[in-house]
Amino acid sequence: MLSPYTVLDLTDERGELATMMLGDLGADVIKIEPPQGSASRRMGPFLEDGPESERSLNFFAFNRNKRGITLDLSADEGRAALLRLVEKADFLIESAPPGEMAELGIGFDVLRRTNPRLVYVAITAFGQDGPHAGFAASDLTLAAMGGQMSVQGNPDRPPVRVSLPQVWLHASSEAAVAALTAHARMLSSGEAQFVDVSAQTAMVSTMLHARVAHAIQGRDFNRGGSDLQLGTMSLPMVYECADGYIVMLQNGAMLTKMVPWLVEDGVIPEEWIEGEDWPTYDIRLVMQQPLNYSIEDVLGAVGRYVRPYSKRELLERGLREGVTIAPVNTVEELAGFRHLEERGYWLTAPLPNGRQIPVPGVFARLSETPMTVRRWAPGLGEHSEAILGRTLGLSADEIGAAGGGGKG
Amino acid sequence: MTEQLPFEGVKVADFSWVWVGPTTTRYLADHGATVVRVETQSPPDRMRAMGPYKDGVPGTNRSHAFADFNTSKLGLSLNLKNPAAVEVARRLIAWANVYVESFTPGTMDDLGLGYETARSLNPSIIMASTCLMGQSGPAAAFAGYGFHAGAIAGFYEITGWPDLPPDGPWTAYTDAISPRFLATTIMAALDHRRRTGVGQHIDASQMEIGLQFLAPQIIDFNVSGRVVSRAGNRSETAVPHAAYPCAGDDQWCAIAVETDEQWDALRRALGDPAWADDDRFQTAEGRLSHEEEIDAHLGEWTSSRSPYEVMEILQSAGVPAGVVQRSSDLLRDPQLEHRRFFRYMEHPEMGNVPHTGHQFHISGYDSGPRFPAPLLGQHNETVMREILGMTDEEITEALVAGGIA
Repeated sequence: MLSPYTVLDLTDERGELATMMLGDLGADVIKIEPPQGSASRRMGPFLEDGPESERSLNFFAFNRNKRGITLDLSADEGRAALLRLVEKADFLIESAPPGEMAELGIGFDVLRRTNPRLVYVAITAFGQDGPHAGFAASDLTLAAMGGQMSVQGNPDRPPVRVSLPQVWLHASSEAAVAALTAHARMLSSGEAQFVDVSAQTAMVSTMLHARVAHAIQGRDFNRGGSDLQLGTMSLPMVYECADGYIVMLQNGAMLTKMVPWLVEDGVIPEEWIEGEDWPTYDIRLVMQQPLNYSIEDVLGAVGRYVRPYSKRELLERGLREGVTIAPVNTVEELAGFRHLEERGYWLTAPLPNGRQIPVPGVFARLSETPMTVRRWAPGLGEHSEAILGRTLGLSADEIGAAGGGGKG
Repeated sequence: MTEQLPFEGVKVADFSWVWVGPTTTRYLADHGATVVRVETQSPPDRMRAMGPYKDGVPGTNRSHAFADFNTSKLGLSLNLKNPAAVEVARRLIAWANVYVESFTPGTMDDLGLGYETARSLNPSIIMASTCLMGQSGPAAAFAGYGFHAGAIAGFYEITGWPDLPPDGPWTAYTDAISPRFLATTIMAALDHRRRTGVGQHIDASQMEIGLQFLAPQIIDFNVSGRVVSRAGNRSETAVPHAAYPCAGDDQWCAIAVETDEQWDALRRALGDPAWADDDRFQTAEGRLSHEEEIDAHLGEWTSSRSPYEVMEILQSAGVPAGVVQRSSDLLRDPQLEHRRFFRYMEHPEMGNVPHTGHQFHISGYDSGPRFPAPLLGQHNETVMREILGMTDEEITEALVAGGIA
C-alpha cells in the first residue's frame, strides 16, 4: 500500500519496529547505520554462529523489508550522501537523543530545506524538550516513569516491568501511527512535518483505564497481582491447572456454561444449577444485590474444577462450548499453537547462519494488497554499493569517505 | 502554517467496542476525521460498565474508561437486532470511507453488514475487522478481552516473579498494542485508496499483533529451544536493575545501570561509599553475580529518601533512574505538563475532567483531543439528519420501529 514511498531509517532498537511496520506495508525502507553497525546488532538474544555483526536476533526480528547501508554522519561526505537520499525520501525516522541530529548539522531545519515535503519523525524517551528531556533512560526507568509499573505486579513485592524490554516497541509502533498522520497533513498543507514522539507517554497509554484514574475516582489504581480491577471491585483472573495456569474472567455468561461442568465433575452439588440465576450473577454482584452463592464459594469451586485439567484440555473444551479460557502460554506452547499454523501466521526465514526457521508473520491480512516480506534483515552495509554507488552515482572512494564501506 | 488537521474530510463508521477499535478510531477522530461511533443500549459498550466512574458513582455516561477512548466522536445508538437500525447502518456504511468493527467473526455478516455488503454499498470502502484471534482458524470464535489474548500470546508467562503465579501485564495488554498497528494499517489503506480508488478488507488479530513484541524471543526459541519466563525486574546484562524502596508508603524508584560508566556515575552520586568500592562490583559480570548484595546496599540508601529525591540525585549524575509514578503522580509530572499531555475538557455529565492526549506532537497544529466522548445516543438527530440526510419521516419511522436504541 505504501510502495511509492521511501523511508530513511536512522534508528536503533528505539525505532526499528516503526520503519519495519512501514516496510511491511510496502514502503521502500533504507536502513542507515553507522559504520560499526546499529546498537541493536549488539542486543541479544544471539545466534551462536555466523558473522558476528549478524548474530543478533533482536536486529533480525525488527529489520525485515529494509535495505541496509552504512554512513559516517560525523564526516562531511557521509552527511552529503544523507542529504542526497533525503532529497528523494518521503520519511526520515530517527531515535537520537534530543538535539544530536541538529548538532551534526542534519536536524529538521536543515533537512526541510533539502526536501520541503519531508516527514521527519524523532523518537526519544521524554520528547524533544521540557524539564526531563535530557534525563538518562532505560526500558525499566521508562516503564516506571510512564506509570505502567505502578499497577503491575504482586502487592507484596516491588512493582514490576514486563520481564522483556517493551518500552521502545510501544514508542516505535506509535511512531508509525505518527508518521502516517503527519504524512496526511503534509499532503493537505504541502509543508514538511516535524513529529516528536515520547516513549514515556507511550507507556502511560498502556495504563488504559488507570491513566487518569485519580482525577476521576479520587484514588489511584495500584498493583493487585493478576486481579482485574474494575474500579468498584476486583476479580481474580489467573487459575492454576494441572500443567500451569489459565486466565478466565467469571462473568454471568461464563458461569451459565461452566456451572454444569462443575456439577458433572462432582465439584458442586446439582442443586447449584437451579439455585442461582447465573446469567445475571455478575450484574447482581457488581450492584451488591442478593446472591444465593457467595463470590468466594463460586470462585473456589471454579478453581477446584480446573485444577486437574491441562491448559490444552481446558482451552479445547472452552472452544467447543463457547467458554473463554485462555492458557498462559510459554513461547514453546505458542510455537505449537495450531490456530496460528492453520492461519498461516508463521513465515520461514533464512537466518544469517544459514538455518531456516519459523518467524512471526505480518501484523494484518489485507484483501487487496497483502503484506509480504520481500527481504529479511540486511547484513551490515549490504546495499551500500547498490544505493550509494548505483543510485547516487558515488565512486568507490567516495563511498569509502562517506563511511559506506561498513566496518572496513 | 495552516491549522488544517490531517484527516479532515475522512469519514469513519465505527461499529467497534471496548478498547482496540475505539482507540484506533480515536486517532482518526482527534486528528480531524468525522467519526460516528455506533453503540446500543442493549447492552451498552462494556466500557460504560467499567470504572473509573466520576466520583466513584456508576452510570452509563460516568465511565472514564469509556470517555478516554472515544474523544472527538459523534454518538449514534442503533440496536442492530432491529431491521430499521440495520437500514440506518447501511446508509452509514455507504457514507463512510472507513468502517471498523470488532465483534466475533461472522457477526456483521449475520447482521447483513459484512464486507461483501459493505462493498456493494460503497465499492471503495476500507473495512477493518479486529478481534482476538483473527477472522479465520480453529480458534476464530474465541471471544474475550486483551488479557485473554495477552495470556495466549505469552505475556502472562513473562510478567511477575519466578516463584509466584504469573501476575500478567496490567489489564488488557494487547489492547494497548493493537490500536497502533491497526491505525497504521488503516492510514496506509486510506493513502492507497486516495491514489488508486481501491478499498480493502483488513483482518487484524490482536493476538498476532501482540506477538510482534515478542519476536526476538520466539525466534530464539525456534533457534535454541530457550524458553523465557518471568524474572521480576532482573536484566540478563545489567545490575543494579530493579525498583528500590523509598521513604513513604509504597514508594519506589527504578534504577538501571547498564554500563560501567553508569556504575561509576552511580558511585559518585552516592558519595563514593566504601561498599561500592569492592573490586567484585567493577565489571558487569561481577555485578551480575552479586546482585543481592548490591541491591541491599542501594536499597538502604534509597529507603531514607523520597523517590523524587533519589531520581534527581541520580539523574544529575547521568544514571537512568525513574520514579514509579501512579496516576496521581502523572497528573502533576512536569514533563507531561510541558507537553500538555492531559487535556481538561467539559464532559456533559462528568464535568471538567482530564483526558489523555497524544503520544506524539506534530508541528503546526494542536493534536487534540478536540471534544469529549459522546453520551450514549447523544448525536442521533445530528447524524441521521445532517450526515445521512434522512428526512423527518424516515427518522420518525426508524424511531417508531425501535431501531434507534
